[in-house]
Amino acid sequence: MKKTFLTGFLLLLLSVFALAQDFVLPDLIGFRKITDYPVYVPGNLWDFIDGAADTYLALGFVDLNVAEYRKGKDVIKLEIYRHSDHIMAFGIYASERSSSYNFNNLGSQGYIVDGAINFFKGNYYVKLRTYSKKSKTLQSEESLARIVESLLAGETDMPLLLSRFPDEGKKTNEETFVNESVLGHQFLNNAFKAVYQTGNDNFSVYIIKSGSAEETLKTAKAYLAAGGIEPDQSETRYVFTDGYNGTTFLTWKESLMVIISGLARDQADIAEKYSSEILK
Amino acid sequence: MKSISRRRFLKKGIAGAGIVAISPSIMASASAPDGEQEKIIYRTLGKTGLKVPVISFGVMRSDNASLCKAAYDKGIRLFDTANGYQGGNNETMLGNFFKDNKRDSFILATKVKPNTDREGKPTADTTPEKFLEMFNTSLSRLQMEYVDILYVHDLSNPEMLEYKPLIAAIKKLKNEKKIRFMGFSTHRNEPQMINAAADKEDWDVILTSYNYKQAYAAELTSAIKKAATSGIGIVAMKTLAGGGWLDSERTKPMNTSAALKWVLSNPDVHTTIPGMTSFDQLDLNSKLLTDITLNDQENKDLLADMSDPGLFCSGCQQCLALCPLNLPIPDLMRAYMYTFGYSSPSMAKNLLEELAINGNPCSGCDECKVQCSRNFKVKEKIADISRLTNVPVDFLT
Repeated sequence: MKKTFLTGFLLLLLSVFALAQDFVLPDLIGFRKITDYPVYVPGNLWDFIDGAADTYLALGFVDLNVAEYRKGKDVIKLEIYRHSDHIMAFGIYASERSSSYNFNNLGSQGYIVDGAINFFKGNYYVKLRTYSKKSKTLQSEESLARIVESLLAGETDMPLLLSRFPDEGKKTNEETFVNESVLGHQFLNNAFKAVYQTGNDNFSVYIIKSGSAEETLKTAKAYLAAGGIEPDQSETRYVFTDGYNGTTFLTWKESLMVIISGLARDQADIAEKYSSEILK
Repeated sequence: MKSISRRRFLKKGIAGAGIVAISPSIMASASAPDGEQEKIIYRTLGKTGLKVPVISFGVMRSDNASLCKAAYDKGIRLFDTANGYQGGNNETMLGNFFKDNKRDSFILATKVKPNTDREGKPTADTTPEKFLEMFNTSLSRLQMEYVDILYVHDLSNPEMLEYKPLIAAIKKLKNEKKIRFMGFSTHRNEPQMINAAADKEDWDVILTSYNYKQAYAAELTSAIKKAATSGIGIVAMKTLAGGGWLDSERTKPMNTSAALKWVLSNPDVHTTIPGMTSFDQLDLNSKLLTDITLNDQENKDLLADMSDPGLFCSGCQQCLALCPLNLPIPDLMRAYMYTFGYSSPSMAKNLLEELAINGNPCSGCDECKVQCSRNFKVKEKIADISRLTNVPVDFLT
């Protein structure tokens, strides 16, 4: 009874804490703030971003707060997307970034390009946009981004699993998170992906972390079974032909799985080098 | 850890070719079986004259060129993207895939969104220069000299259909052969937009949301007929009405083939662009390339779903004129959905506060005159949801 009460009390505390984390959209000196947008949720996100909503919904979209800041004809639009967790926020942020952008230290990472400022922090993906070319407005936009960044709670590091990708040959800032149908297969989910170029070789590396070693084994078996392979009990490294994606190297250790796609069969040494480094 | 040595890994790699069996799932032939491509059902996309298979590919969520290749090999020809999808990465991926394909072997459609105000009207920022800059960025990402269809993305106000600076800029692109056909996409106020476009000569193609769950499907069907009769090509999107699930919790899968077939049972719809991220979805949808006849089970599934009002208010606004108190009923239905669909009464309470609802606003009405197009029991739902206004926020999650 006491335990039940404590659990209930904790849940209540957590819910109050969650509400306390909600923020008031900040003011911006010299600009008129307009906040009469509805709070968008999964049921009506389509009304705001049309077909792009699907990607957001697939990545744990929770809600979206929108405000406009007006000064004369100049408008800065602020959009704060809340996702279910930090990895999902990274996922949506990374899906829209380009490695050619100039990155900065806003939140976990951010960038400014052509009047747009995007960054992610904690569970939030924040986008600011102005069509104005005036330097003062662009400065105000950056100030607003800094204010919002300081108001949002949450992690400022990149997701931890990204640090497992070896640096050699990695295309910087092209890492993504694929939460469903990795390589187009419905049984493969929640993978971090990095793209590599070493010499003339281009290949992709996927890391999937499951909840347990058993879960990883189950997923590996599903992939192998789909490829017509009966797994050997003692074997954790395979190369096979995925009919849609070509030669595939599959390796796992405990709850981590590595898939490498894009290398030829006779490049197993490269696959092993990267797999071993990730799983060490 | 049980792993094999580098030598064994290499050996396995070489030997692997011999041990791999063929499985129907991932070893399936990416191409359509012999003879199947000849059976593909094509429709003519209005006055464009383009012959398009009834199933096209909404690429927006896919980052996998292998999936696009598989779709292409199965006979899908029209690929739909947008300047804004994945921050432009979607166009880049398609550009990398198509650069090695013969240009007239596929049809590429992209979209560019002009800035508009909340009512969908042009603003001071709705300039042709900005629109053209965005289009040229798309062309560069796609690595193409032209796109087949350029849609003005997300139009909901007929005023935009007559916005001369933008129309002139798009026509210039047509004259310069940077686009073959011009169109617009719409997913709000669709019947009005389509009816308005049908009266004009400018528009070659319309991309519209269209599905069996829309409360105003009859009105939309009529508008589509008018536009198709005037020669406009019709492409349907949002055909799965909620991404393939019957409920917001994603526990009840929709019969997606039935939903697509329902759309294609309208001969005025020339093709559809279901979004696909997996080979399984592609396999399922590609079966419809050659067969779009609804079978008995599919008809039953559609009828069963149509009779279930679910939690989603379709936003038809038919109720607004019927309520003597002028209550914001669609918003109140949304608050109901927040509580019982998303399990978020705090979100519902916030919305009720924004709407200035305090207590049950229906308590003074003996008989409710509102007839909901989705058969929601509006008065009962409002009574249920308005109770939240008396609950302190700290008690809500």
